Amino acid sequence: MKSTFMTDYDHTVGEKLRHFRSISGIEYKRIYDETSWNKKLPDAGEYPYTRGIYKDMYRARLWTRRQQSGFGTPEESNELLKFLFKVGQTGINIDSDIAGKLGLDPDYPLARADVGLQGTSMCTYEDMLALFKDIPIEKISSTLIFPPPSSAVIMSQYLLMADERGIRVHDLSGTIMNCPFTQLVGPTFQANTAFFPIDLALKIGLDLIEYLLKTVPRWNVLNVNSRNIRECGVNAVQEAAFAISLGMDYVRRLLERGLDVDSFGPRIGFFCAVHLDIFEEVAKFRAMRRIWARVMKEMFKAKDERSMRFRCAVQTSSLTFTAQEPMNNIVRAAIQTLTAVLSGVQSVDTTCYDEAYCLPTEKAQKLAIRTQQIIAYETGVTKVVDPLGGSYFLETLTDEMEEKIWEAIKEIEKKGGFIECFKKGIIEQELNEARYKLANELENGDLAIVGVNIFRSEDSASDIELFEHSPDMQKKRIEYSVQYKKRPGRELTYKALKDLYLFTKRGGQGNFVIPIMEAVRSGATLQEICDAMREALDYQIPC
Amino acid sequence: MSRGKIIVAKLGLDGHTNGIRIVSKWLQDAGFEVVYMGLYNTPEKVIKAMLQEDADILGLSFLEGSHMYYAEKLRELAIRYGIEGRKIVFGGVIPPDDVEKLKALGISEVFLPGTSKEKIISTIRTLLGG
Repeated sequence: MKSTFMTDYDHTVGEKLRHFRSISGIEYKRIYDETSWNKKLPDAGEYPYTRGIYKDMYRARLWTRRQQSGFGTPEESNELLKFLFKVGQTGINIDSDIAGKLGLDPDYPLARADVGLQGTSMCTYEDMLALFKDIPIEKISSTLIFPPPSSAVIMSQYLLMADERGIRVHDLSGTIMNCPFTQLVGPTFQANTAFFPIDLALKIGLDLIEYLLKTVPRWNVLNVNSRNIRECGVNAVQEAAFAISLGMDYVRRLLERGLDVDSFGPRIGFFCAVHLDIFEEVAKFRAMRRIWARVMKEMFKAKDERSMRFRCAVQTSSLTFTAQEPMNNIVRAAIQTLTAVLSGVQSVDTTCYDEAYCLPTEKAQKLAIRTQQIIAYETGVTKVVDPLGGSYFLETLTDEMEEKIWEAIKEIEKKGGFIECFKKGIIEQELNEARYKLANELENGDLAIVGVNIFRSEDSASDIELFEHSPDMQKKRIEYSVQYKKRPGRELTYKALKDLYLFTKRGGQGNFVIPIMEAVRSGATLQEICDAMREALDYQIPC
Repeated sequence: MSRGKIIVAKLGLDGHTNGIRIVSKWLQDAGFEVVYMGLYNTPEKVIKAMLQEDADILGLSFLEGSHMYYAEKLRELAIRYGIEGRKIVFGGVIPPDDVEKLKALGISEVFLPGTSKEKIISTIRTLLGG
């Protein structure tokens, strides 16, 4: 019996597409002309920023090359960072392992097998020092990929490190992701709520925002992870709508705290996916810029233009990668990187071709950076601002995407906003429906993937070199965290942890960053700090 | 013949659920009884569930690289509980070179990315002996 999974092409009659819909299901017309779109656009750098958030875009400054990095021990990750700078990375993007994101130390039994696998293992202040050894944080911006409550612990470590090195807070620049709904693996319910009460995580995130606004003038205080939303299988419209609705929820909560919209607006950013439908993606970014600008100006009454600018980092999609013929992923990543640049984003992480299997090798990392450099310096697309602007097709699609995204935002708003929908399981349900739909499209061939459901070779097993962790890495990290907590003279640590416990127990009146910072200063580990808060609320975690 | 009861779960801290959600749905639609145990399980927990639920197959999904560690743990537990004959299948982002190693540890089948619905269902049927 012939497999229904494979779409077969008869090479004698010529190949033809099965349909003309975008990945998100928008029906493309044969051709677009002035009957589809016939308008004037404001200049780049002008509200609502359709053509870009800055007047000169890449003519003034190229995007930041910011490869997500981190694996194994902090010492190994420090070596990796140095390697990436040597080949041309221009910003830091530190990812921790899952334990670090969930507020667990390496010796926690359930965490042991995952230590250092997906990112660097971090739990102590000394880990932070090891990770950033010899790296000039007063010159290079760092993105720290942590949701609250870990974000408050890691940010405290970073600030204490800067202080110890004699660096002024004014010279620090970077981003703390700081979103408890999207950072882990996208907004799936169980993943984000099992290890910490979500309401308290949100409060700590907001506390950290308030703290940073007052103390670190150039730090970006929140980054809504639109990419992880997309990677759960939703389409471009849903990605944009979910991310912007969540952004709106944050703005409302910060306004409720009595903060001025222009005090935090310029310091909120987004982190988006770049998928494979080139024009749909470019249209998505342009539509997101317009919507965010209007939301901030019209809904939240921002006056400062910087509050209205949709600043956006991207990472090319991992979901589009295939384990079959992994070298094909080099092409996919290059196309997506070009798409990001044509969209006018602020920083790019090009996913490495081997990430369909494991963490990238240095060879793959270097190729990803080279991809960006070739696009920047050889193709010419950076020499003109918004080079696709004015295309009948793109402008029509931008309008259409904008309309669809607005509609989806209104639906979420009607149900109480993103956070409410997350808590009620509505988001979870939408993700699952999107996943089933995606799987169906793959099965029936509506979504074509070369090497998987079309043009598949059965001998397509990987012949690429794969990354391998050093064999004793996990054991070393587990032993380190056990020994660290057995050190003598930890009375001050226990006192600081007790203070944090009592602070939480009494309802957390005030800013959580203060007692968390004290606990970090006293030598408490990441999990000790999170446990103090968990215990105060009698919050049971999986074990 | 029973229609086949399958427990599906993730072990450790790996929170990626795209694959396990889709495969669970496929199996359900194909008429199997699926018990979705979700995230953050220990090997002990899933093996005990397999015994309590009297499940025919245990299906575990991986994306982070912890599959070898857990295959060894599951092997130890299967011996301890005397259930080496029970079927355990793995799926997910697993380097192809590890497939034989996993099978040597008693994992009945390993579904790599890009495996079709049809292939998964027919393999499960074969494992159930029907």
